[in-house]
Amino acid sequence: MAEEKTDAWDATQWHEVKKGDTLWKIAETYYGDGSLYTKIFEANRDTLKDPNLIKVGQKLRIP
Amino acid sequence: MKKLLKPMVLIVLVLFAAACASNSKPAEEAIKAAEAAINAVKGEAMKYVPDQVKALEGELQAAKDAFAKKDYKAALSAAKDLPGKAKDLAAKAKEVAAAAAQKEELTKTWNEMSGGLPKMVEAIKNRVDILSKSKKLPANLDKAKFDGVKAGLPEVTQMWDEAQKAFSSGNLADAVSKAKTVKDKAVEMMTTLGMQVPAGAKS
Repeated sequence: MAEEKTDAWDATQWHEVKKGDTLWKIAETYYGDGSLYTKIFEANRDTLKDPNLIKVGQKLRIP
Repeated sequence: MKKLLKPMVLIVLVLFAAACASNSKPAEEAIKAAEAAINAVKGEAMKYVPDQVKALEGELQAAKDAFAKKDYKAALSAAKDLPGKAKDLAAKAKEVAAAAAQKEELTKTWNEMSGGLPKMVEAIKNRVDILSKSKKLPANLDKAKFDGVKAGLPEVTQMWDEAQKAFSSGNLADAVSKAKTVKDKAVEMMTTLGMQVPAGAKS
C-alpha cells in the first residue's frame, strides 16, 4: 500500500499494484469479496480503461 | 515696629513657599510613580485592553492637571492608586492574551478538523456500503466488529452535526471537543475496517 497525498486529512486509501495482483484479488483483500472489484474499477476510471489491465506499481484508490 | 514688619513678611513668605514645596513633593512623586507604572505595562496592555489603558492614562492626566493647578492634594489623591491599577491592568491583559491564544488554537484545530472529518466520515460510509454488499468480510474483520461500526455511524454523524451547531452558535470550545470525539470515533472505525487513517487525524 502506498500513501499518495498532500492533504493531511485526505481519507483516500491507496493500493500499489504488486506482481500477481488482479482487481479481483485486491477486492478480496479489502472487501472479502472479489466480485466487488467493480467498485475499485469505478473509483479508478481516470487511469483504468480495462479492469483486466493493471500494471505493477500502479496506485489504485480503494473506496 | 516698621523695621520688624519686612523681615516678618519675608519669613512668612519663605514658610509659605516651604509649605507649598512640601505639599507638592509627594504629589510629584506619586505622579512619577504612576507614569512609570503605566508606561511599564502600556505596550502589552494596549494590544488586549486598549480602552482600559486609555482610561488609566486619563486618570494620570487628571492628576497632572491638578498638579499644574497647584492642587497637590487632588493630584496626590488621583495619582496614588494608579500603580496598583496599572498592575491590575497588566494581569487583565495577560488574561485576555491567554484567552486570545486559546481561541486562536481552538480555531486552528476546528479549521483543520472541519475540513478533514467530513472526508473521513464519507469514506467510512462508502466502505460500509461496499462491505454491506460483500458475501464474505475481509480477514481481520468479523461480523460483530462490522456491525459495531455500522451501528456507530449514525451517532458519529449526529455528533458532527452537533459540533457544527456549536461552532455556528459561537461555542468554539464545545465544537472542538465534539469534533475531537468524532475524530476519535472515526479513527477507531477506520482502523476496525482496515482503512488508511489520514495523517492529520493521528495527532
